[in-house]
Amino acid sequence: MDTLANVAHGFGVALTGINLLYCFIGVFIGTLVGVLPGIGPISAMSLLLPVTLSGTPESGIIMMAGIYYGSMYGGSTTSILVNIPGEAASVVTCIDGHQMAKQGRAGPALGISAFGSFIAGTFALVALMLVAPRLAGIAIAFGPAEYFSLMVLGLVVLTFLTQGSMPKALLMACIGVVLGLIGLDSITAQPRLTFGRMELIDGIGLVPVVMGLFGVAEVLLNTEQAIKRDIINAKITQLLPNKADWQASAGPVARGTLLGFLLGILPGGGAVVASFASYALEKRLSKTPERFGHGAIEGVAGPESANNAAAGGAFIPLMTLGIPPNVVMALLLGAFVIHGLQPGPLLIAQNPGLFWGIVASMYIGNVMLLILNLPMIGMWVQLLKLPYSILFPLIILFTILGVYCSSNNVFDVYVMIAFGIIGYFMRKLGYEPAPLVLAFVLGPMLENNLRKSLILSQGDLWTFVQRPISAACLALALVLLIAPLLPTLRKKRELVALDEGA
Amino acid sequence: MSRYRLKTIASAAIYAVVAALLATAAGAQDYPSKPITLIVPWPAGGSTDISMRAIADSASKVLGQPIVIDNKAGGGGTVGPATMAAAAKPDGYTIAQLPITVFRLPLMQEVSWDPAKDFTYIIHLTGYTFGVTTSAESQFKSWKDVVEFAKANPGKVTYATPGTGTSLHIGMEQIAAMSGIKLTQVPFKGGAETNAAVLGQHTMLQADSTGWRPLVDAGKLRLLMVWTGARSPNYPDVPTLKELGYPMVYDSPFGIAGPKGMDPKIVAKLHDAFKKAVEDPAVIATLAKYDMVPNYKNTEDYKKFVVEVTESERKIIDTLGLAKK
Repeated sequence: MDTLANVAHGFGVALTGINLLYCFIGVFIGTLVGVLPGIGPISAMSLLLPVTLSGTPESGIIMMAGIYYGSMYGGSTTSILVNIPGEAASVVTCIDGHQMAKQGRAGPALGISAFGSFIAGTFALVALMLVAPRLAGIAIAFGPAEYFSLMVLGLVVLTFLTQGSMPKALLMACIGVVLGLIGLDSITAQPRLTFGRMELIDGIGLVPVVMGLFGVAEVLLNTEQAIKRDIINAKITQLLPNKADWQASAGPVARGTLLGFLLGILPGGGAVVASFASYALEKRLSKTPERFGHGAIEGVAGPESANNAAAGGAFIPLMTLGIPPNVVMALLLGAFVIHGLQPGPLLIAQNPGLFWGIVASMYIGNVMLLILNLPMIGMWVQLLKLPYSILFPLIILFTILGVYCSSNNVFDVYVMIAFGIIGYFMRKLGYEPAPLVLAFVLGPMLENNLRKSLILSQGDLWTFVQRPISAACLALALVLLIAPLLPTLRKKRELVALDEGA
Repeated sequence: MSRYRLKTIASAAIYAVVAALLATAAGAQDYPSKPITLIVPWPAGGSTDISMRAIADSASKVLGQPIVIDNKAGGGGTVGPATMAAAAKPDGYTIAQLPITVFRLPLMQEVSWDPAKDFTYIIHLTGYTFGVTTSAESQFKSWKDVVEFAKANPGKVTYATPGTGTSLHIGMEQIAAMSGIKLTQVPFKGGAETNAAVLGQHTMLQADSTGWRPLVDAGKLRLLMVWTGARSPNYPDVPTLKELGYPMVYDSPFGIAGPKGMDPKIVAKLHDAFKKAVEDPAVIATLAKYDMVPNYKNTEDYKKFVVEVTESERKIIDTLGLAKK
């Protein structure tokens, strides 16, 4: 019953007027930066870090945390409406979310991602309170060998995302990995694949690649099909998910939440892997996998729950070990330290008021987000009624602004335009951009961990098989790769990957 | 006519020169008129990152513009400064923390930057407290245990560092050479990663700056030695390198610099702001959390220091046989 008393104490801290205000400011800014492409929670939080210094540590950290999970809510909006993912974790949301919008079902898509996020976020908090210290072990059970195998599994799983052919998806993944290697090598600082160009020393940015392949390519493709545009205008009657939508989404939300929470604990690309693993899982489990990629609500509900649950899971290694699993958590760690607190195994015992206050504020923040986001769905949907002659230039304008703002570098705008044109031809020839982008994110982690594991094992490749977690990941990856080749399973696979040529 | 034209050209030229002078003067005068990016070449959340955030926050109050931290980790802290040297404009809006690896790595391998030419040195700030830790569940109770085990099992002892060529890597290799043992280095990107590696016993040891402190305090990690001149007041029972028979002190002092060719007026403004920052009691308190103390050097002394440190590093690298061929 200690926990209950602690939670009560936490709400006592979180419900003070000033903390409620900070919480609201946090989630409001978070929603805003989540919706605006290019401006992510990282830049918003580093700019606002100094502001938090004037208040108490609780207020400051409540606000910073609010920006983080608020942006996770907002991130899906542009994915669904205009096919531009706000960050890597919402790339998969584009696949079915935008299709739903095209069929006039933007409202239910936005609705289910708001509700799914709320449910997943709340579950993650309950789990955070009850099992945080016990789950801390997961974060450190993963060494370089385990990460390498997880990344291999991730790369294999992501080829299941496409509705196109598997070879094409694998090809895209390979190109993504190679693109990710551009720049200075992370172990010895040698420039690679830079062709002597200074601009490439730093590698290619994720934001211009994503904005180009998704945003610009989508606009180019749509100008061609502008005649068919009346589909979107046709019927926007329904703003919230109906009973059938809920029935279809209940399973995906529950599974996505669990998957996201567990993967979120892992330092590194937890949220990204969680979002597309959830999508692939739902597609496998579905009785009608052919609907995926054509506006299946499960394909929105699962990944959106997963990435929000991952945001909650990410607090565990930070609060219990002082190990930040991603840059956003590291910024929070910075906020703690500047306020004179040291997250680590002793934090919860030494500062119960702070820990429970923050957790309680996240409950309140989640409710605020739901209230804030639901009425806005109507407004967002109206946006789609804009004529294309106005909407498309606006999208192009915002992608250019977003890319330029994220790096202050004109070169990145050129990169975006180039990837926009590449993305257009990829779409025309049936190549999907999602595997490329996800491989681009996972590739450098894959390489770095492969090299570290081989140093650790002194060049012995058996290390990947001898370690149980690593072996399990590799075995699963192997099964997924081989399954389509076996005759008994082939039928299922053909349904899963509804090849346009098959 | 031609005379008139000559006059016009002459006056136009003078106007141009004056205008240009005014423009640069105004540039330095107005500086800073937008947020400044400070590249920290380590992952967010490590001891360098957090101490630089505290310093930057204090300096930004003096400058009247926010300083945005950009974590560009990798290559033992050289990827960030190398990128800056190659790509950033010397307008004072992009500066970087310069770890000692920036001077050391060019002695060990071909690199894209020249520490003598590619940077504008601004101010020297502080240094680290380094230590070697192991998991509390490990068989190693003291450094002596490690040496004994390593003698029986050459190359089997692995240690996590924040990167190849960092002081932790060089220091551990020097220790190994002096003890006649062989250790295997595993380069990570910074403290947050090495903490996880040693805590999960993926590597047997961790050699890093004081980011391990909360874990040592909580009894999850065991501190085997510190590399400072005297014992740390926080850990009076932990021996120094000298006490263990290695006559060395490692503190890897660091400062900040911009790309080459910065306006001296802008350098002076940045210097003054960061000097105030390392004198700020709040900053000193944050540094103390990581057993760090301010080690201020002005722009000129910093330049001299870079030359000295490069020479002493050259000697160590040569003795260890790590110099580039």
